[in-house]
Amino acid sequence: MKVPWGLALRHIFEHWFRNLLTVLAVGVAVFLFCFLVSLIVTLDDQVEEASQDRVIVQSAVSLFVTLPLDYLAKIAAVPGVGDVTKWQWFGAYFQNQSEGFFAQFGVDPDPFFRMYERDIRIIEGPNGETAPAAREAVHLAMLEEKRGALIGQALAKKFGWKVGEAIPLTCTLFPRTDGGAWDFVVLGIYEKQRANVDDSTLFFRFDYLEDTLRNGGATGPLGSGTFFVQVAPDHETAEVIETIDALFTNGPQRTKTSTEAAFQASFVSMLGNLPLFLGTIGGAVVFAVFFSVVNTMMISGRQRIRESGILKALGFPNLTLGALIVYESVLLSSLGGLVGIGLAFGAARGVRQKMANFFPNFAVGPETMAIGFGIAAGIGVIAGVTPMVHLMRTKPTDAMRSEG
Amino acid sequence: MSEFIALRGVSKSYQRGGETLRVLDGLDLDIPRTDFVALMGPSGSGKTTILNVIGGLDRPDEGSVIVADTELSALAASRLPAWRARHVGFVFQSFNLVPVLTARENVTLPLLLTPLSKAERRKQAEFALEIVGLTDRMDHRPSQLSGGQEQRVAIARAIATDPDVIIADEPTGDLDRETANEIMELLGRLNRELEKTIVMVTHDHLAAESAKRSLHLDKGVLVESGRGPA
Repeated sequence: MKVPWGLALRHIFEHWFRNLLTVLAVGVAVFLFCFLVSLIVTLDDQVEEASQDRVIVQSAVSLFVTLPLDYLAKIAAVPGVGDVTKWQWFGAYFQNQSEGFFAQFGVDPDPFFRMYERDIRIIEGPNGETAPAAREAVHLAMLEEKRGALIGQALAKKFGWKVGEAIPLTCTLFPRTDGGAWDFVVLGIYEKQRANVDDSTLFFRFDYLEDTLRNGGATGPLGSGTFFVQVAPDHETAEVIETIDALFTNGPQRTKTSTEAAFQASFVSMLGNLPLFLGTIGGAVVFAVFFSVVNTMMISGRQRIRESGILKALGFPNLTLGALIVYESVLLSSLGGLVGIGLAFGAARGVRQKMANFFPNFAVGPETMAIGFGIAAGIGVIAGVTPMVHLMRTKPTDAMRSEG
Repeated sequence: MSEFIALRGVSKSYQRGGETLRVLDGLDLDIPRTDFVALMGPSGSGKTTILNVIGGLDRPDEGSVIVADTELSALAASRLPAWRARHVGFVFQSFNLVPVLTARENVTLPLLLTPLSKAERRKQAEFALEIVGLTDRMDHRPSQLSGGQEQRVAIARAIATDPDVIIADEPTGDLDRETANEIMELLGRLNRELEKTIVMVTHDHLAAESAKRSLHLDKGVLVESGRGPA
């Protein structure tokens, strides 16, 4: 026996507008689900991938208060500290503030390259070197060229920057006294290796900023927003954190030191219980859409009573008729699921482009897509069951009397 | 002629508004193979119930129903659809075509229940449509056909699987006189030329005259009321 699957398709096209709305409703629900779940996963990944043996020293007052530069030597002298670098937010933009804004940090090249050996892979050096030779080449070039900059590949792609290119950046946090832009030279391009690193960031020499501030070429607070510290092997991270904070208890600036993971988590917690909030929204939308699809399939089922009577009279078994209505329902929902996944994919791309500073690794993962599609298909199955049971229970003689 | 359809002591009741309505009460009926019987009688007399019982769409409360050597009352409910597909073709008053399918696709529907290949199903459906004279309307949907054409498609669907018996419930009820005559002529041809056993319910005396014999049903009792063309 063959099942007239084509009949379900005919019905879908016959009531195309109603079914289109159903597909879109499911699509929006799956989009929201995938988008919100991906947001949660991205935030979690950033925390999970963050290093446990790298700690961040910041002002106990606020992240926006800079720490004195002489703290670096004191932190370096703490037992268990392997490496330490200044890490100063620069806050500049390229060409225009809305489109050209991205993250830049002033760092000390030597410790930076050692500390981030596993986190970033330098894929292009100043003279065309590729990995792994590019790392050493960029390191040396940065030591020679004060305006040297290392940029992430996403950033290079976004602005079309090439190695050797000069980049003028306008900075409002450290404006130049001549009113001009800060000049940087791209010496290398890196590729992130872990989710805790953003590949749309520019790293430059901190002493370029420091020297310019000291000689009056620019104005702004002289200090470092944070110090990034690598805990030496065989030393307890907790002890190092405790010792650093104890060192500055009496000022001039008290510090708050935390692991990189805890530092990332604090950003997430600033947003409140985001996972619960997002999960509630996503769940509510999916639930509402579920009823919408059930309603559509009930209407569709009612319109199909007479036809089911005809098919039963012709000899089609109940199970075939049930399968047809569930097939139609699953087809619509699954189509909606694909639309939703597609929308989420597009939105993820947009988020990566427009909000790279906040969600540099935002992506809709295959697991999220599979769950989203599963939810859509599941809605289809459940929504199809109610009319299926009704159609299967109706006697052919009663069904054919229905006005449908 | 052997007894092709045999009803013995068939009773059937329905619940209507809390009351039990006994439609058939110990009814006996014999229809030989290749017979063409018209069942007549007032509304609610149980004509359609007899058709439903013979066609395996409904089951009697009591009694036995034998059609094409099968004791339907003993057949499991789950096996009735397959039996119907093999042995019965239905023609209804309101045509009961699937509106989203073309004439050809409607006729092909019951053939999906057979082991025929796609090409064979298409060929068979076209042959059935040729018999009813609708080769030029194969790709039209029911909404694009006249009432008479719709009923012809329904008849083509009924004969597509070459069933033993054709059950026709008021096949001319929704048609004008001229079209009704054409349909009755077609059913007569199916009976004479293809030797199909036809059991038809009708209120139309002229339609009943096309049958070989007419049976009048009143208060659960069947009386032969006339003989048509042999």
